[in-house]
Amino acid sequence: MLSRTTACRGAQRAARQLSSTQKRGLAAPASGSFQYQSGEAKGVKFASRDFAGPTTTLALVAKAGTRYQPLPGLTEGLANFAFRATERRSTLRIVRESELLGATLTAHHSRENLVLEAKFLRDDLPYFVELFGEVASQTKYQPHVYNEEVLPMIHFAHTRFVNSPVDMAINSAHSLAFHRGLGNSTASASQTPYTKYLDAETIEQFSKSAYAKSNFAVVANGADHGEFSKWVGQFFNEVPATPLQQLSQGTEQTKYHGGEERLAHDGGNAIVIAFPGSSSFTGQFYKPEIAVLGSLLGGQSAVKWSPGFTILGQAKATPSTLVQTTSAIYSDAGLLYTSITGSAQAVAETAKAAVDAIKKIAAGEISSEQISKAKAAAKFKELENGQDIRAGLQLSGNGLVNNSQAYQIDEVAKAIDGVSEEAVKSAAKTLLENRASVSAVGDLFVLPYAEELGLKV
Amino acid sequence: MSAPSLAPAIMKRPWLQRWMKPLANWYTNAAGYRQLGLRADDLLPEENDVVHTALKRLRPQEAYDRVFRLRRAFQLSMSHQLLPKEEWTKPEDDTPYLTEYIKEIETEMAEREDLEAMVINKRQSNANAGH
Repeated sequence: MLSRTTACRGAQRAARQLSSTQKRGLAAPASGSFQYQSGEAKGVKFASRDFAGPTTTLALVAKAGTRYQPLPGLTEGLANFAFRATERRSTLRIVRESELLGATLTAHHSRENLVLEAKFLRDDLPYFVELFGEVASQTKYQPHVYNEEVLPMIHFAHTRFVNSPVDMAINSAHSLAFHRGLGNSTASASQTPYTKYLDAETIEQFSKSAYAKSNFAVVANGADHGEFSKWVGQFFNEVPATPLQQLSQGTEQTKYHGGEERLAHDGGNAIVIAFPGSSSFTGQFYKPEIAVLGSLLGGQSAVKWSPGFTILGQAKATPSTLVQTTSAIYSDAGLLYTSITGSAQAVAETAKAAVDAIKKIAAGEISSEQISKAKAAAKFKELENGQDIRAGLQLSGNGLVNNSQAYQIDEVAKAIDGVSEEAVKSAAKTLLENRASVSAVGDLFVLPYAEELGLKV
Repeated sequence: MSAPSLAPAIMKRPWLQRWMKPLANWYTNAAGYRQLGLRADDLLPEENDVVHTALKRLRPQEAYDRVFRLRRAFQLSMSHQLLPKEEWTKPEDDTPYLTEYIKEIETEMAEREDLEAMVINKRQSNANAGH
């Protein structure tokens, strides 16, 4: 039974929300909450959205991913130095205090971004904004912390990396496609980078460029915009306004190269077939048809106990072969890649099927029903990014730092809606005309060469 | 690690420091470790967790130099000799290179103890809301 007052309060709240958000049509998502409001406080770019709920996710997205690192391994080192002892408090205190507040702290990196992330209860926003300001400006890069805590983590990442054929293949495809910059590996493939180039002092130098005001954005999900801007203005005073040294590495426009690489590996088989793709929506080379093409090729099923509607999902050699098509988007370029893992024989057959599928799409032998299914799936994936807080935070932060606008998911969804069948076909045709990047890892006796698959490299 | 010391109290009072300085210099020389090429921090007892950790945190060069000084001092002590005068440790070289690490580790350990012994109270606003 609802009491009168409760019902009234609910109605009032609903009325208030209705006035503050935009009108929505039937097909549009409940969009008001998806929109990030962006701003700048004392030179620090920030974006936030007031997502209803008692928790907040806060992220500091720095333009310091592996693409921008001047020496190999620096990004990993910096990510692992996050939330260690600062001038004001020790590692232990940071950990204990955030545990007491019931928060989670993580630091991770991608090709373009270094992301510090905290999830906590709404009331604790000032504490964590202060903590982020402190981590960015006052972390002590002590040699013994590097030796005892950071180096082992980098080494674990290296071990995990070299034992995973699919990770190796994806990274190798990236380096074939983009060479330096975006092609830099996200983890060390050998021990040389971190034994030869890395120490606490170098990481400290890098931090002064990576955490400069012009180089990062703070993004909050589930925080009041006004309040958030107040705290950001207050706590990021000690962060340097300009980078210690301008990082020129990786800032030039990415160029696509392409090629083929084959690596012998005992731990499994993987093939990655990659083509030039679409940049992020905030970048200059945004092509929504690539996302549709990606979900048309697909490979993973959206429903249980079924291979799914996607072409590769049905064409794969055995049910145990894992196929996945990803449209990796970066600020100024993109890579559409299909990764295939499984037994060597199955991987070889599926790779052949993948190339045949692209040829079929290019020739227009695909029913429009399938394309509309793919469009729906691509749109769902985009909108899910809006729900998935982590992806949304990183995309918005990336957009802010690189192109000074936040990633607006609704608009991306709209762009995908507007993709025509012709556009998908011609996109597939262009893929085949360009040089592909093909990387095979595993049993090289069985795995095919790109030329045998019918690709130009 | 450290024994109670009057030194900080004396250092705070410049007049007292001026008065004590010659005495302190005489005492340090008379202690005889500088004549063996050692530094004061080489003499700290190292059989405890704090100093053990501190030794691990020394930079490789510092750690190497320390071991060199200790071995040279053993050698001299066994052969009942002193270093030639120009090789004695100079007062300006006699820096507390280990003590700074020890202090840092002691603060860390004290902080850990404090955090372990902490009593946690609910925030008033949350307690009222019945969380």
